[in-house]
This record gives sequence, C-alpha cells and structure tokens, in this order.
Amino acid sequence: MPATILLTIALSDFIWIVVGLLVMFTTLSIVVLSLTWLERKVLGRLQLRLGPTRTGPMGLMQPVADALKLILKEDIIPASSDKAIFWAAPIIVVVSAFMIWVTIPGTQSAVIQNLNMGLFYIIAFSVVGILGLVLAGWGSANKYGTLGGLRAAAQLISYEIPIIMVAVSVAMLAQSLDLREIVSAQDEYIFLLVQPLGLVLFFIAGLAEVGRTPFDIYFAESEIVGGPFVEYSGAHWSVFFLAEYINTFAVAALTVILFFGGWSGPGLSGNWEIIWFLFKVYMVIMVIFWIRGTFPRLRIDQLMAFAWKVMVPMSFLSVVMTAVYQFYEWPAWSLTAMSSTALLVVGYLIYKRMTGSTRLVAQVRSRQEALQAQRKAAANAPAGGD
Amino acid sequence: MFNSLKGLVVTLVSTMHGLRAPVTRQYPSTGNLLKRHDEPTPVKDRFMGFPALTWDETVGEPYCTSCMVCIRGCPTQCMSAVMKDNPLFIEEKSTRRKIVDTFEINLNRCILCGICVEVCNFDAIVMTHEHEMSTYNRNGDRVDLSALLEIGQKHQKATDWIPPTKRVKAVTGGDTGTGPAAAEAESK
Amino acid sequence: MAQVSKTTNRNGEPIEMLLNMGPQHPSTHGVFRMVLWVDGEKIVDVEPHIGYLHRGSEKLCEGEQYNQVITLFDRMDYIANFNNEQIYCRAVEKLMGLEVSERSEYIRVILCELNRIASHMLFIATMGLDAGAMTPSMFCFRGRERIQGLFEAVSGARMMHNYFRFGGLKEDVPDDFVPQVRELLELVKADTDESDKLLSFNEIFLARLKGIAVMTAEDAIDYGLTGPCLRASGVDYDVRKAAPYSVYDRLDFDVPIGLDGDCWDRYYLRVQEIYQSIRIVEQALDQLPEGSVESSLGRRLLRPPAGEVYVRAENPRGEIGVYLISDGSDKPYRVKVRPPSFCNLSALKHMLKDCWIADCVVILGALDIVLGEVDR
Repeated sequence: MPATILLTIALSDFIWIVVGLLVMFTTLSIVVLSLTWLERKVLGRLQLRLGPTRTGPMGLMQPVADALKLILKEDIIPASSDKAIFWAAPIIVVVSAFMIWVTIPGTQSAVIQNLNMGLFYIIAFSVVGILGLVLAGWGSANKYGTLGGLRAAAQLISYEIPIIMVAVSVAMLAQSLDLREIVSAQDEYIFLLVQPLGLVLFFIAGLAEVGRTPFDIYFAESEIVGGPFVEYSGAHWSVFFLAEYINTFAVAALTVILFFGGWSGPGLSGNWEIIWFLFKVYMVIMVIFWIRGTFPRLRIDQLMAFAWKVMVPMSFLSVVMTAVYQFYEWPAWSLTAMSSTALLVVGYLIYKRMTGSTRLVAQVRSRQEALQAQRKAAANAPAGGD
Repeated sequence: MFNSLKGLVVTLVSTMHGLRAPVTRQYPSTGNLLKRHDEPTPVKDRFMGFPALTWDETVGEPYCTSCMVCIRGCPTQCMSAVMKDNPLFIEEKSTRRKIVDTFEINLNRCILCGICVEVCNFDAIVMTHEHEMSTYNRNGDRVDLSALLEIGQKHQKATDWIPPTKRVKAVTGGDTGTGPAAAEAESK
Repeated sequence: MAQVSKTTNRNGEPIEMLLNMGPQHPSTHGVFRMVLWVDGEKIVDVEPHIGYLHRGSEKLCEGEQYNQVITLFDRMDYIANFNNEQIYCRAVEKLMGLEVSERSEYIRVILCELNRIASHMLFIATMGLDAGAMTPSMFCFRGRERIQGLFEAVSGARMMHNYFRFGGLKEDVPDDFVPQVRELLELVKADTDESDKLLSFNEIFLARLKGIAVMTAEDAIDYGLTGPCLRASGVDYDVRKAAPYSVYDRLDFDVPIGLDGDCWDRYYLRVQEIYQSIRIVEQALDQLPEGSVESSLGRRLLRPPAGEVYVRAENPRGEIGVYLISDGSDKPYRVKVRPPSFCNLSALKHMLKDCWIADCVVILGALDIVLGEVDR
C-alpha cells in the first residue's frame, strides 16, 4: 500500500512538473513573439518609421508569420561544419535559457520550482549558454563564427563577475538568495533607493550578458555579420533567436525582482500581482529597446577594458559598501548616499576621460576661428580658373 | 556619459514624433491585410518614368513616324522601330507620309535618361509617370507598339498633355513648326 | 611569394587566420573586398581587391556621343550625380570654349551643393551604421529623401538626372524653385542638427572613432588624399577655393579643416561641410539671376574641335578630374577620370596598420568610398 501511495505522489509531482514546464514553454514563446513585435514597433517609431503593418491589425501577426517562415525554411548545414557540435549548440543555448525560468517567480506562488538558492542557480545557469555560443561559432567552421564565439566567451565571462557581485550585495541586503524573499525584503523600500549603483551595474552587465546594444559585439552585424549565428538558418537560427529574447526577458525580470520590488504594487493582490510584475518587466525592456535605438557599438577591447577597469571594481565597491552598511547598522539613507556618490563620480570620470566633449567643441571652434583669421590675414587674391 | 544621456533624450523626442507622424508611407497601398486603400505613388510633374508613344487624337493615329532619331540618340540601344507608308495619308486624312509600323522598347535596358524625348521632332514620345512595371521573366518588359500607345494615352489623359510644338505655337502665335528651335523653346 | 611573410606575426609565430571581408559584407559599402591577415582580433596586413563593380565606364564613353556620356557620368559616383554631370559638362564646355549663362551656373551650383549635402548625409548614416547606431541613418535618410524629392521636381529623376547640358541646362527650374529650396534648407538643417546631437559627441562613438587611423598631413598628401579626408589632416585645400570654378568665387564660405586627422575628424568635418553647403546655397539663391538656361548649341550632333582638356572640381568625396581628348568626331576619343574615391582608397593599407577588425569597418566608412566610382 505505502508503495502505491508513494508512487502516486511521485507521479503527481512528475505530472505537475511536466505541466509546469509546458506552461512555461508556451508562455515564454508567446512572450518572445510579443517582444519581437514590440521591438520592431518601438524601434520603428523611434526612427520615424511605421514598423510592421501588413500582417494582421498593426502587424500583430508579424511574429507568427516570421516564426512560420523560419520553421518552413530550408535548414542549411555547411558541409565543412562539425555536425554534432553544430546541432548541439542551439540546444545548449536554448535549454539554459529555459532553465533559468524554472525558478524565476512571477508572484509569490506563480513559480515552477522555487529554490532557496534561486539567485545562485540562475547565475550558474546563465554561464552555460556561453558554451553554446562558443560551440556554435566553432562548429559552423566559419571564421566570422569563430571570432564571434570567442568574443562571446570573453565578453560574457567578464560581465558575469559584476553580475555576481551585484547579486551578492542584493542578497546581503535581503539576507537571502531566495528570489521570493528578496522581493518581500523590499516591502519597506525597493532596493533601487538604497543601491542605485547596483542597479546601473546590474543593468549594464545584463545588457552585455544578453548581447544587446551597445554590447552586441559578438554578433555585430556590421563587423562579423552575425558572429556565431552566421551559418545558421531556418529552425536552428530561430532557436538562437528564441534564447536571445528569453534571456533579455530574464535580465529584465531579474532587474525588476532585485531592484524594483518584483510584483509588489498597489491595488492588486494574490496572483493578480503578476500584472504589476509584467508591467515593470516590459518597462525595463522598453528601456533596453530605447538604448538599442540610441547607442553605437563598443569595440571588443574597449568592452573588456570597461568590464575590468570600471564594472568589476565598482561592483566590488558596491559589495563593500553594503557590507559596511550592514555591519555598522547605519541608516538606510547612508547607503543611498554612498552608492549614488560612487555612481556620479564614475559617470563624471568616464565623461571626462572619453570626451571632455566641451573641450572637443571648443577645439573645433578655435580651429575654425584660427583658419578664418589666417585667411583674412592673407587676404589672398582670387586664384585663376581651371 | 552626459552626451549619451543627451542622445537618449533625442531619441525619446523622435519617438514622440514617430508616434504622431512617421515620415514613411506605406507602399504600394495603405492600410493592412484586412483593409487596403490603393492609391498611386505620388510623383512630381516632371518625373521621368518609362517612355511611351503618344496618340494623335485629331487624326486617330500615333504621332510617331519611325524616323529613328530617338533610336540613334538612345545611349543604351533599347528601342527599335519599323516604318511603313501611312494609309491615312493616301486617304488624305493625315499629313504624315510615313507612320510607325512596329515599335519596341526594352524597358529593362532603358535608363530613363529622357534623351529620346528631347531629340524627337514629332512630339511622338513622352516620359510617362509609369514606373511600377516589374515582371517575372527576363524579357517581360519588352513593350510593343500597342502597349506603348496604351501607356502613352493613359499619360496623355492623366496630365492633359499638349504637344510641345503646339505649346510653343500657342505662346508665339506663329507657325514655327516642328524642329529644333521649337523643341528647345518647349521649356518655356 | 609576398604572402609568405604575412603568415607570421611580429614574434615570428604563425598566423592561422586569413579573413575574407567582402565582397558580400554588409559594411564594405558595396562590393569591395579586403583580405585581412589577422592575429586574433588585430589586423596584421590587408590586401584590398577592387573591380567587382567594373563596368568599363571610361571605355563606354568612347562609344557614346557627347550628350550620351552625361548619363554614364551620372552612374559613376552614384551618390553625387549632379557634381559628376557638372565636371563632365565643364570639360566639354572648356573644349569648345562655350559660354554658360549666369543663371544656369547658379542653378548648377545650387544643385551640386544640395547633392553634396545629400552625399554627406548618406555618409553620416553609414558611419552610424558602421559604428552600430541605427537611428542616425534614419534621420539622415529623411533629410536625403527631401533633397531627392527636390531633385525629382527639378530634373525628373531622383538620382540619375541627366539634367545638365553643355552650355546650359535641359530646362529651367520649376517656378516655385527658390521658395522650395529655402524651405528645404531649414528642414535639412534641422535634420543635420538632430543626428549631430545624437551621434557626434556620443561617448561610445568618440571611443570608436577618436584616434583611429591617424593620417598626418604629410602622409595624406603623399597618398594623394583629397577632399574631406585630406582636410581632416589639417591641409587647407579645396578646389572650390584653390582654383575657383563656376561661380564659387562669388560665394562666401569656409573650408572646415580637422586637427588630428583621425576618423572622428573625417566624420565631423563632413557634418560641418553640410552647414557650409547650406550657406553656399542660401547665397546662391539670393544672387540667382533671371535669364535663359538654354544652350547655344541647339540640338545638332555635337562635334567639338580636336584637342584635349583637363578640368577638376571638388566632389563630396574629393577632387575629381576629367581628362578629355577629342579627335573632332561626334564621340570622345578618350575620357579619363581621376576619381576621388579610388585615390583615397589607396591610403587604406596605411590606415589599417595595427588596428582591430572592428576598426577596419569604421576606417573604410570614414573614407567614404563609392564603389561605382572606384571601379568605374
């Protein structure tokens, strides 16, 4: 008898997990479709274009049409590619992207499997995706692909460190690695208010982690024409695409959970709070699109320099600040002050270092004035024709 | 970082503009899959689309006499023509001794330079506003006399076309006739 | 073989990678091809390959009548059509000793300067795209589109105009030309301002362009650079000032120069040139005289006297020269073009020394080549 009961329990758990995964898969696919539509529409309006308009009202069916096209397209596999690696790479990338979502909660109860080491688990899995990119670059036997894969490895591993350190400082503030507890720790004030530096670091590193502009170095279209994905087509390529957008969504969701108080918001309770959560996540994603529409791309050495010379020290600083604040039990505003001061100082230093743009303008102007003065002084006679 | 923030403001402002009035227009028709409004692509008055032959309404025949001036003037040799005796001239309905028998333009070769119109002594060829003539096969844009006249007549109707030499006559009041001077004066 | 030396890097270790960039690469501005010897991400050597767009324009010119050659010049530098038409028409006019009426000279200058603005706008757009920014390209294309709309109203075509004639123009401009251009200039100024604000001083953009591919004035002169690429290195040389043609001596404008000779200077100089061109057009509109634009030639078949001429002009990309020999027949005996893009491209190897793969896209973009002109 007990054996059957145990079996029933195990089976029901198993069924629950399978159902949960299926729900997750469908939800995320719909989310990705919505994101592709949103990105094209937002970027279109930003650039004074219309974006998709033809398929369905306001082009709403465009992502569906795209997905259908990608699935029906011929899947070209280069003859010289390493077939096994070529096949495995997209699977690794997309599985790791989905695995992250197992533990990201939408509300207090809407989560497939909450882990009390949730944050740790997410960070651990986000590194696995890099392997897929490197393999994709290598396996497709293309030089652009290889360059892209290696760029991806360098970039993603560098930016993993600031992400970890900022996550640690948030975990210290919340005294937990459990995402649900991190959210409930923000009941009083959201962590954005005490750790603005952490937010900026996390957001920038997150952008780099998912390869959004200005950190889209590893598939930079104008340089290495798609990097690791250059040889992929059809369904294989769409898998990468799927993973990329799921990761973008995950970074936005983590930003919201760690710094914007997750699903907490006025007016809603219970599972309806997921509306607040989605609202905040989509707002963050809009900012990502906005940045994509504004900035050029960094160069790989500048990107690495930025990671190791700015991001890593600053993330350590944010951990130290949090630790000091926690150890001496200072009031919350002291951490806010420390954090925002550090942010402003770094921002100013970068501004100074990279441009001194006022200096540049002055330079340009004085150059012009000097030239004009020189011309007037010469008062040269008109030269002849041809 | 401050200049980058300034850039973010610029794009934000342009998004507001884009939401109100994007600069692109839909092509070839406005609306979406469910509701479409077909409207022709607007072109300027002087727009030079594909060349076509004109139709003399008063006599009921083409202006073209197959004199081959345009064919010799064409930089890409995209045209060919054959001349014949004009039956209407024998019946004394027309002043044209010769008339076009066949005329073919390979619009794929045509570079829309307008030289043929410039050199024509008989107002027989015009640059129409037609420019959406893609076909699926390579020789699909070889247009023969009847098609050329059809396109030309459409253009004549749409733009209230007056033969350039007549335009000059109307201005000067004299019968300068055809010829270089008249065609030059065409451009007021 | 010369290539053997390229298979090792500075330390004598073998270089494994030979990267083929182009002719089907999104940022080689057409069908340009570079074979890069790379050491990781660093470029060791480069071998440019041209000729993928070779149409034999110069040879074709020998088989066409004089007035038909204008259409070929339209298609050489297909971003600056009016400028190309003007240089060829000036060559034939000089050969025949033709007088060009005041009005047509002014209209030519207006259209050429507008074309220069359009060309530089396209440059800003592609520069932004090469550096990874998408939005400036849309802003600039909006401005360029407006200018092309005006061209369509004037000449009947947006790009391949065939509008200039020897000693005049094909026909006079439309009646509302002057107010239309004035309105256009305001809009173009606003468009340039917008993309300038968005891109020029952006920190990332500066990081990508400042100090890249520095050319000293000596280097630039040695390589025969002209136009914005030469002026960015601090050489004050502009054909419009050095040997004024058309009515440029009656117009007041500055020639912007750069200080460092790096990619950013090459970029920003063109932004400033747009404002200078706007100034020129404004003055030309004020001075635009009434009169005829008709050519005195009529329509008879043109047979210039035997002889040879060389004329030069300032194109958006640099100094263009046309060498024309006539043997007295109705077709030119020989037409030789000195294309600015081709000559500027010769400095590519020097510029690409010790730079990154990502830089090579930006450097090529800052040279602003048009393959139609390089390969002809």
